[in-house]
This record gives sequence, structure tokens and C-alpha cells, in this order.
Amino acid sequence: MKRSLAALSALLLALSASACGGDDAEESGPVTLTLAGWSLATTPEFKTLADGFRAAHPDIAVELKEYDAANYDTQMIADLAAGKAPDIYVQKNLKNFYTYQNGKQLLDVSDVAGKLGSGVGGLSSYQVDGKTWAIPYRQDSWVLFYNKALFDKAGVKHPDGSWTWDDYGTVAKELTTKLKAAGDKALGTYQHTWQSTSQGFALGQTAGADLQSGDFGFLKPYYEKALALQAAGAQVSFGDATTNSLTYQAQFGKQSAAMMPMGTWYIATLLSQQAKGDADTFEWGIAPAPQATKSTTGTSATPVTFADPTGLGINPKISESRIEAAKSFLAYAASADAAKALAGIGVTPADTATAVDTIFTLKGAPTDDLSKFTFTTHDTKPENPVSKYTAPLQNVLKDLHTAVLSGSKPIDAAITEAQDRAKNEVLSK
Amino acid sequence: MTTIADTRRRRGRVVARNTAVGWSFLLPNFAGFVILTMVPVALLFYYAFTEWDVFGGATWTGLENFRQLARDASFWTALRNTLYYAAFHIPLTLGVSLGLALLLNRRLRGVAFFRTVAFFPYITSIVAIAQIWNMLFSPGFGPVNEVLRWIGVDDPPGWTTSADASMPAVIVVGTWRYMGYYMLLFLAGLQTIPAQLYEAALVDGAGAWQRFRAVTLPGLRHTTFFITVLLTIESFKVLDLILVMTDGGPGQSTLVLSQYIFQKGFEENQFGYASAVSVVLFAICFVVTVVQFVVNKRRSA
Amino acid sequence: MTTLLQTPPSRVADDELQPVRRLSGGRRVLGYLTLGVAAVVVLLPFYWMVMSSLKSNNDVFTVPVQWIATDPVWSNYLDIWSKSDMTTWLGNTVLLSAVVTLLQVFTGSFAAYGFAKVRFPGRDVLFLAYIGTLAVPWQSYMVPQFVMMSKLQLTDTLWAIVALQAFGALGVFLMKQFYETVPDELIDAARIDGMSEYGIYRRIMLPLSVPALASLTLITLVTTWNDYLGPLLYLRSPDLWTIQLGLKSFINQYNAEYALIMTGSVLSVLPILVIFLAGQRYFVEGIATTGLKG
Repeated sequence: MKRSLAALSALLLALSASACGGDDAEESGPVTLTLAGWSLATTPEFKTLADGFRAAHPDIAVELKEYDAANYDTQMIADLAAGKAPDIYVQKNLKNFYTYQNGKQLLDVSDVAGKLGSGVGGLSSYQVDGKTWAIPYRQDSWVLFYNKALFDKAGVKHPDGSWTWDDYGTVAKELTTKLKAAGDKALGTYQHTWQSTSQGFALGQTAGADLQSGDFGFLKPYYEKALALQAAGAQVSFGDATTNSLTYQAQFGKQSAAMMPMGTWYIATLLSQQAKGDADTFEWGIAPAPQATKSTTGTSATPVTFADPTGLGINPKISESRIEAAKSFLAYAASADAAKALAGIGVTPADTATAVDTIFTLKGAPTDDLSKFTFTTHDTKPENPVSKYTAPLQNVLKDLHTAVLSGSKPIDAAITEAQDRAKNEVLSK
Repeated sequence: MTTIADTRRRRGRVVARNTAVGWSFLLPNFAGFVILTMVPVALLFYYAFTEWDVFGGATWTGLENFRQLARDASFWTALRNTLYYAAFHIPLTLGVSLGLALLLNRRLRGVAFFRTVAFFPYITSIVAIAQIWNMLFSPGFGPVNEVLRWIGVDDPPGWTTSADASMPAVIVVGTWRYMGYYMLLFLAGLQTIPAQLYEAALVDGAGAWQRFRAVTLPGLRHTTFFITVLLTIESFKVLDLILVMTDGGPGQSTLVLSQYIFQKGFEENQFGYASAVSVVLFAICFVVTVVQFVVNKRRSA
Repeated sequence: MTTLLQTPPSRVADDELQPVRRLSGGRRVLGYLTLGVAAVVVLLPFYWMVMSSLKSNNDVFTVPVQWIATDPVWSNYLDIWSKSDMTTWLGNTVLLSAVVTLLQVFTGSFAAYGFAKVRFPGRDVLFLAYIGTLAVPWQSYMVPQFVMMSKLQLTDTLWAIVALQAFGALGVFLMKQFYETVPDELIDAARIDGMSEYGIYRRIMLPLSVPALASLTLITLVTTWNDYLGPLLYLRSPDLWTIQLGLKSFINQYNAEYALIMTGSVLSVLPILVIFLAGQRYFVEGIATTGLKG
């Protein structure tokens, strides 16, 4: 009993002692920055950035702190709340950027933003109240991956950048039929089970579509098309995809589908899976995502697509002496040098024009002009427009997504229900 | 006269001594428990009355969170689903695990193997569990529906992909997963029943069912109380199974309170509101537990 | 009374636990057959886990299901040791499970004696508070708890997990319910014999509660072994990872090594399986309360 009392008081002592003492000791000499990253063993982009920065700034070391890829934000929120987060941390998507920005967990980096080149995409999403709170280092965008070998086997003409969603639907069905005739079990296309597969395009491509309006009618045509593809058997049904935990990497990589709308992050994965043998070896390419109307199709126009940028922000608890070093790291991450280094490992940097020559020389990457056009030319809208309401609205729309695609609810009823929920549970707050 | 005062004093001393002894038993556990659980839980109760973004200070908003809850249709859906799950999961699991325990409480050849098998679902990776059951339930290719069609059901349910059948599917898997866990506790409880009671019952000519009613059930009273309370709490807090099997869908058909708390807190950054939902969840569990506790006390008195 | 306490507990033999009539040969076969079929259904996920551990990553999830790995990739079982820090993860998990289980079983059974057999004011209210906390979902207070732990300098150390798991209310509750089945007369007799409360706990209660202690040990062990959220929140440094945390690191943002995850899951179940099989006899060890007949 005595011993446990002693232990208890020791604990309480430790509690009060650590509550007063901080670690604001000013360091002298070489500066060490800490940087958050996830799955470091398999995600080389953080080390690439750290090494590249070190080469240009030999007096500043960058130490990586590992986080879990799937639960990054949960871990980061806990670390920030306890004051244990690293100096620089990643804004994985815009949904959580709002949480950090609104919770005053980001340092104003407007001065860094002011000096950036014009080719850096995604910057505007990080601007709130006239100030910039994070700097993008990668800006993926959704494109259409297609399997050239399967197209040839079916005898269907490759995509040429002129497709609307109707054209895409027709080709998906045609591919399915012709591949079957050719004795191949592959389906025309694979749209993954995520809500963004339908909703991201709908929000980005529909003129006047706005989540916060609480009017979700703009989703209807996109869901009707997705349901039609399922009904025609040109795509695995949503139910089978979820109950069998299908992965998009296997669906496209093992040639179970001839096309797949997906983000450009898949380029690096596909290249490495083909090299390792996890994916079959076949020729593939990327084409612009199908468009809502003819007006944005063709290589003389700029196709509209979507994706959130990935950015870096600075923890406001960083010690005064390291702020400048942290800012120069952010500036480096968005620079042309970093863009080339990232492209060298297959990552789509925020500045795609600078990177295009590097990424398409990687072994196994496509070399056609349409792929290059797709990579560099796009009007990429944010998947999660930054607002207080975005996260709860996306949760409402996720329920709509699963209800409609599983066939549990007709699209009109689901939209009405989602609008009611948005009005009563989200927008009224 | 002195004797009364004496007894009173003596009783006072006994109470003081007992209190000291009692606390000395509790302390090793209690010390850790207070610091690591009680204090954060107490904080949670405070946050339930605030607007809190988890990073900075919380703003006191009084009963506002609870007023909002009353109007929040999603909260009511989650509550209804949780009650639905609990209403079936508790009796089903109780029955199955008791049955298993009775069946496997023997020294037969191979019984050790079957006991291990029954415990297996509890230790197998939850990803594998979700995967297999979802596959078994798969509307197009799943064996479950194949069997149903074979026995003449024309339009078998879509299970985890249909709003009506997803909860029953989750309940089945929940029972399957936890039956071994509670079987183990029942097995431990069965060992406390003196064999003489069975012998006496046999001598009296009691049949198997009568022995079960007259000897086994009363002998298991403490264990059953414990298991019922645990099962209640576990059912009301169900989360990981839902996340891997249906993620609350399709639509909101399997959204439960625990998941709603996580959504409101970590996904939507409304930690004060999430705390309020937790307090409601706690209150429900607590009331149910206290009722069970009181009933149990009265019965043993 | 004195003598009865010294009566050695007589093991209840075989079928006496639950007298059953001997089944005839045919019914016995039928019984085993039913159990066998049930066992197959129960073991199906495990079978799938083993099969998936022998596939390559993109073959794990397919339509329709592949029940047999046509071209078994045995190298997964070698790769997992070279490709990852499986040895470190295993070591951490074993260490944590052992320490947590020891602490939980000791503090839990100790406190349970206070709750079950010592009468003092406020006991029942305190006990309700204990169970009450079981009813609060962890994810709703994990941030305040995390902040406290970090003030105690415990985050990112294995001690965080020990602190988190070792003082739970579950063990107290379980042991208390079990102790209550031990008749008060037995304890009063010991008190009259001059035994202290600590002596009664050690020399009477502990030996009598072997099945409950065994269940608690196993349950705590499995919970700690398979815990994912606790380590996820508290352990950042890769050299502190547990098996469950390590296996999840095979999932990165854009890809996942499902075959290796399944390989690791199979490997992580094996130690528990061995412990369960070895510990079998303790779960069904009869306790003799025979002495109280007279």
C-alpha cells in the first residue's frame, strides 16, 4: 500500500512538473527540422524531399517522423493536441485542412506563397481570410487509365481526349461485349467504390454545383450513368466490389478491366507493381477524364477534373529559431527542383509542366502524346472545397453513395433525403 | 448501557478497520484507474457541455449540444440501429455461448479441439473475418444465397449490400465472433457448481432439463449477471465489426452510436458534440447496468 | 471447520461435471459429425487467411473467390521476416502482453477481493463507477487521455500501453463475480482461525479461482495481443511497434500488401493457439467446495 501511494505521488509530481516545464531551449549551430510522413518504408516522397532539401541546405537537417497512412489525421490531431507534433506536417486532404486551419494549428506562410512560381497548382485551396496556410507539393488529378492491349484485343479505337461521359459509357459496353467475344473475361471499365468516383466529377464538372447550397440535384446524371454501367454488366456491381473488398490496383493491374478513372497517384503504384510482377505487364496510357459536355473535350481545350492538393504546413508551436528553416523547406518542396525529384519517383508534383519530361522517361511509363497532354493540361477542382460544412456534408453524401449504388434507394429519393439531412443537421449550425 | 456504547465503538472500529483493509485491496488497481480512466472520463463529461475543437479551450454552451441531439435525425437513426443490434445480439450470444459451454464442459475425446475452434473467431484477424463473411453473404456469388436459392427462396436478400438485411447479417457475425469469448467465461462459471448438487438431483430422479433449471442456472447466477452486463456494454459500443463489414452502410442502415461519435469527433471536428453523444451512450449503458445490478442484488438477498 | 479447510480439493472426475448418459455409437458419430461441420464453418475465415497468405498481393481479393492458392507463394513466409521488422514487433508484443496480463490479473483479482469480501461504506457505489467507465466508448475520451499520458511523458513508450491496459475494470469485475460464488462461511471460518484478509486472498481465494484466473489471463492476453487502436495512438517509433501495428504498415496510402498481412496474421495467431491448447485444463479445473456440505 505504501509503495502504491509513493507511486501515485510520484505520478502526480511528474504531472505537475511536466506541465510547467517546456522545451523551448534555443538551439545553436545546425538546425534540425522534424517532418511528418506516413508509411516511410513504402512512400519514398518524404525522404526524396528531405534529401533534396539537405543537398541545397547542408546546414539544415530534416528528420522524418513516421505516421500511419490510414490513420494519419487521427494520430496528428492527438499529437497536436498534446503539443508533440513535428515542426512541419502534411495536409493529406482538404477535408482535414479545415480542421487544422480553423483550430489554429497552422502558421501563416503567405510570404512563402508570394515567392512561388505560377505553375504551382492547388495553392488557392490553402488560402483562407486572405492568408496562405499551407504550400502544395503535389497536385494529383483524376484521369482515365486505359489498357492498350485490351483495347487492341477488342478492336476498339484508343481514347483520343474527345470523350464525354456518354462516349465513355458506350465504349465501356462495347469493350465488354467485344472482349467477351474474344474470349477475355475482362470488363469494359472499373469505377472504384469511393464516393469521389461519382461525386468528385459531378461537383467539379457541373457549372454552378456547390456543396454548401444544399442542393444536390447535380449528382443525378452521374449516378444514372454509373447505375447504367452496372446494369449493362460493363462494370463490377457495387455490391460485389464491396463484399469482395476489390482493390483498384488489382482490377486494373491484373487486367480485369480495360479502363479505370483514377487519380494520377496510381502512376507510381502501377509502375512499381509492373516492375515487381504484382501487376501484369501490358501497355497502358492515360487520357483526360470524360467530360460533362463537348465544350471541354479535345486537345485544344482544358479538360475539367478534380482532386485535392497535398500540402505542407508549419506547426505554430515550432521554436522561433527554426521558422525560417521550415519556411525554406516549404519553398523547396514547391520548387521546380523538387518537382523533378518527385517526378523521378513517379509522384505528380504541384508543378506538373516542369515534371512531365521526367515522369514519362521512367521505365514502363507511356510515351504517347495524349498521356503527356493529360498529365500537364487540366483544370483541377478541389474534391473538398474548404469550408466548415465540407466534412459533415461529405458524410451525408457518402450515405447517399452507398444507398444508391447498392440499389437500396432510388436516386431521387436519396437526393431528397440527403438534402433534408444537409439542411437539418449540417447547414443549420 | 456501557455495552451498547461498547458495541457501537467496537462496530465503529470494525468499520474503520474494514475500510482500511478494503481500500488496501483496491489501491493498486485504483491508483492507475483513477489517473488513466476516471480523470479523462470526467473531462469528457465537461466537454459534453461545450463547443470544443480538441486543440484549444472549450467554450461552455450549456445544454445546447443536447438540444441539438434531440433534433438530429442521424443521431436517432444511430440510436435505433444500436438498440436493434443490442436487442438481438445480447440474447443470441448469451444463448449460443451458454449452449457451447454446456456442450463442451466435458472430458470427451477431442473436446479440447472443439473448445479451441469455438474460441477461434475471437482471435482471428478481423479483416479476414469481414472478408469471409462478406463473401459468404455476397449477393451474386455468395454460398449463403446459393443455399437459399437451392431450398426455394426465389429472391434472397442482398445481406450487407441491402438496407434491410445488413443489420441481421452483422448480428449473425457479431454472435459468431463473440460466442467463444463468453463460452470461456461460462466454462469458468460452470466449475463453481458443486458436483454434489447434480448427484443429489440425480438421486431425486430429476431429468436433464430439470437439472439444468434447478442446478445449473442458479449456480451460474453470478456468471450470467457478469456476462449480461459485459454483453450489454459491448453491444452498445459495437464499432470495429461494423467498420470492417459495412462501414455503417448501405445508406445509414448500420450506422451505430460509436461510429457516429467517431464521425462527429475526428472526421467533422465537433468534439464537444461527440462527447455529448458519448454521454448519452454512457447513460443508457449505465441505467441498464444499474437495473441489472439491483435485480441481481435483490435475487441474491 | 479447521479440518475442512485442509481437505485437499478433490478433482471432479470426467463426466460427473454434467452427468450425461452414454450415447450410443450411432448418435455419438452423428454428434461428432455435427460438431465437425460446425467447426468447418467456424474455421472458414482462418482457412481463407492461410490460403491468402500463400497468394500474391493482387490475387487476394477477386471475383469470384479463389478458395485454393493455385500457385502457392511459400516465399511470403520467408519474406515477411526479411522485408519487415517482424522480430521486433513480435518481441514488443510478447513483452507487452506478459507485463499487462501479469499486472491486470494481479491488481484485478486483488481489488476484486476488496469488492467481494470486505464490507466497507461506499463499496457498491465505487464498484458501479468502475463498471460505469466500461460503458464509455474509448474513442470519445482518448484525446484527453492522450494529453494526460503525454504530460506523464509516457507517449511513444511501451509504458503507455501498459498503463492503458493494465488497470482496466474488466478484471476487477470478472474476479469479483467469481469470488462471490465462494461461500462467506468459508471465509468467516478462516477469519476465526486468525487468518488475515491478505492470507485469505492468497491461500484460499487464489487457489479456488483457477478457472477464472485462467479465463482472465487468456482474455487479457488476447486483448493486448490483438489491440490495434491503443498502439496506433500511442506508439510512433517503428522500434516500438506491435504486431498489429506493424501489419497495418503493409497498407500505405496507394497500395497494400494483403498477402503479407495475411501471412503475418496467421503467424500472430499461432502463439495464442499454443497457449490456449496448453492452458485448456485450467479452464475446466473443478473447484471443490465439498467441505461445506456438513
